[in-house]
Amino acid sequence: MTTISAPKTRSPIGRTFSRNPFLLSLILLIIMIVINRALQDNMLEIGPLNGTLRTMMPAIFLAIGQTFVVIAGGVDLSVGSILSMTNAILAVMITQEATADQALVAILVALAAGLGAGALNGFGVTVLRLQPIVTTYATSFIFAGIALRILPEPGGRLPRDLTSFYRNPLQLSESFAIPLSLILITLLVIFWLVLSRTRFKQFLFATGGNADAAYTTGVRVSRVKFTTYLLSALFATLGALALTLGTGTGNPRAGELMTLPSVVAVVLGGTRLAGGQGNIIGSIIGVLILGLIGNIISFGDLDSWVRPLVDALIIIAALAIPGVIGLVRRLNQ
Amino acid sequence: MTSFRLTVEKAVKTYGGVTALADGNLDVQAGTVTALLGANGSGKSTLSKILTGVVSPNSGSITLNGAPMRFASPQAARQAGISAVYQELSLIPDLTVAENIWLAHEPLKNGFVSRTLMRQRTQSLLDLFAGLYNRHLTPDALITDLTPDERQLVEILKALSFDPRLIILDEATASLDGQQVNRLFELVTQWKANGMAIVMVSHRMEEIFRIADKASVLRNGRTVGERVIAETSERELVELMIEGAGALHRERAPLVDPANPVRLEVRGLKTSVLHGVDLTVRDGELLGLGGLQGQGQSDLLMALFGAIRSTGQMIVSGEARHFRHPRQAMAADVALVPGDRGSEGLLLIRSIFENLILPSWGSYGTPIRVARAREKGAVIAEELKMVMSSLDAPVNSLSGGNAQKVVIGKWLLRAPKLLLLNDPTKGIDVGAKAEFYSLLRQLRDRGTAILFYSSDDDELLGLCNRVLVMHDGRVSTELFGDRLTHEQLVSASMGTPS
Ligand SMILES: Nc1ncnc2c1ncn2[C@@H]1O[C@H](COP(=O)(O)OP(=O)(O)OP(=O)(O)O)[C@@H](O)[C@H]1O
Ligand SMILES: [Mg+2]
Repeated sequence: MTTISAPKTRSPIGRTFSRNPFLLSLILLIIMIVINRALQDNMLEIGPLNGTLRTMMPAIFLAIGQTFVVIAGGVDLSVGSILSMTNAILAVMITQEATADQALVAILVALAAGLGAGALNGFGVTVLRLQPIVTTYATSFIFAGIALRILPEPGGRLPRDLTSFYRNPLQLSESFAIPLSLILITLLVIFWLVLSRTRFKQFLFATGGNADAAYTTGVRVSRVKFTTYLLSALFATLGALALTLGTGTGNPRAGELMTLPSVVAVVLGGTRLAGGQGNIIGSIIGVLILGLIGNIISFGDLDSWVRPLVDALIIIAALAIPGVIGLVRRLNQ
Repeated sequence: MTSFRLTVEKAVKTYGGVTALADGNLDVQAGTVTALLGANGSGKSTLSKILTGVVSPNSGSITLNGAPMRFASPQAARQAGISAVYQELSLIPDLTVAENIWLAHEPLKNGFVSRTLMRQRTQSLLDLFAGLYNRHLTPDALITDLTPDERQLVEILKALSFDPRLIILDEATASLDGQQVNRLFELVTQWKANGMAIVMVSHRMEEIFRIADKASVLRNGRTVGERVIAETSERELVELMIEGAGALHRERAPLVDPANPVRLEVRGLKTSVLHGVDLTVRDGELLGLGGLQGQGQSDLLMALFGAIRSTGQMIVSGEARHFRHPRQAMAADVALVPGDRGSEGLLLIRSIFENLILPSWGSYGTPIRVARAREKGAVIAEELKMVMSSLDAPVNSLSGGNAQKVVIGKWLLRAPKLLLLNDPTKGIDVGAKAEFYSLLRQLRDRGTAILFYSSDDDELLGLCNRVLVMHDGRVSTELFGDRLTHEQLVSASMGTPS
């Protein structure tokens, strides 16, 4: 009765790794924390921790947005420029004398601009059917241009009470404080866990896994892809907000060097570059790893040429991770 | 049950310059099994996809219960109660069985996808085929981990999960074993009684005569006739499908001359699935491998080809060999024609020519004599009667059966000394099968040793003079001469040698 062709039973380890690719990055993160801690022994105290996490927040937002696009089988090379653009908008509109209402309006304008940018990307990819890389690379110049038009030079100053609220740890009781960023990260993880139970998540993974099959089954593939570019732009705008509040000023080139790291963080976190598999928790871990490596280099007092070398090694390592997971899987079979 | 009647008239579909469907007509109704027949590339799948809204026709009309319809999208067709089992399957490899089956109609609870419900409903669907698949096929299994027949079952259950009023089965039986097919046909009979309409595409005529009520035949994209099954014959249908058919003669090979050198000798071959296989193939012999699907036949061929790890003795061309990699096997003039073209055989977006020549580039010199390679490619395409726009068209523009011919052709071009065939005629039409058989005979007569696994008993009976029946990872019975009959083959397959 039974057919016996090649049953593939995986060992528990193999299965755990293949279903949660970010476990490997988690291990890497712990190693990074240990090294970092050895170089900077107050690293986990509230002050330095708050500062470290706060500087990583913009990159975390970018990587999360990027994750959606990559899972659906695309890539968004314009996230850095969208961040620059919305950072410029926020810095110009929220002046030092700005009221709460004015600040709110500025945030809404930035969100509208960000979503407009995402819609343009989505239009290029789903309606004009251009390659995601080509589309978003091209639009990145548009957004970067707009950023410089709005704010030709770095500048602007936000109201102090606004920035200090964001910058300082949240004092929960007299003796206990927690970095605001940590709360934000927790909220983002909850957001992902909730999203994981929606139909949208199924559509997202199906689209990236095999767009033709998904379409045939009745998934509106174009709509899903379009939505991922909107999400990516939305998160880039939130990243800009975090940056603006964190620095208290604007820089039209702020995001220039942030696009590639966002992709690297996504891959480091175990999301498959070809789409169909992934997870924003991994991407958050990816950003933390990249950030800590930066810390280690600056604290370790290494020569400046080390930085690009390490960056290159990280990219190679990130790209090799899926291969390593595959190897673990095969050895376990 | 409300009545259901769907008619398609004068459907046309072109891809660039290629006409996939020139005049497609179909009439289906509740409680009827309509067979859709035709040679490879005649437009069966295209017509099916027009019904499910996946392909939008250039022109033509669809009428549903008397009212004109237009299926602009798969969702629209689904709304009208139409779902399909696609020939190339519509599964997402990295999602689970449950996620695939319920994709785009996930059971919700408070607006969220309910995994519990999804699992339960998947299990009750799987129970329809209880006992006919492996234990590892569970609602939570990933599609990548399944065997081809299990994927096919999932695809069938997926189509069924939409609770359709019309279900289209596009070669749904091609990768199933005999028992699974029997079960499917039992289900089809039930569906029919419940008033479902069924369209079935198959190249196996005996299946058509077993289950269909009427047949609609396509030739070169045109509907050329409709017949009531009870009032027609296999011959008549084949003649409708293929002009000038009738030359489908089968001639069993003579017993091989025992003086021929032994090309392959295997002793105690073991893998995770095989429990010690012994066999010998001589030059000029066409040795059959039979048995129910999944009894280790594919593993045996893969192990011989060095594609999976094995232990045991292997003597190839008089030398003790043990291939650890297909490259070594290829260097020793061994070729394997795989059965699952999607995952094993083809570079889908590359051209037919590139795919054909890929395994034999080496034999065209450096720098490569492209013109000569093209000539050879054209010859083999001609011999296998491939329907295509040109040798430079990408493989994914071919119909399912024609893609399988590319898989066969690319290995034949290497002129192997030992040819391993893993159920190669799956999804190939009657005409091309006949061509393929005569090609095999030619190869055999030229002295090639051939080990031929087929899930089609007729094929083994018609071509081979000796058949090894496999059961549970062993050769359970050897049939030859007078003992090689259909009855013996079936009872040996069930593991009850008589
Ligand atoms: N996407 C495509 N692009 C170009 N040509 C195509 C495409 N799909 C199908 N065709 C062509 O249309 C014709 C009909 O194909 P179709 O898949 O309907 O055949 P079929 O009857 O299902 O054959 P088979 O029995 O081999 O499955 C073939 O000649 C095929 O090459
Ligand atoms: Mg077909």
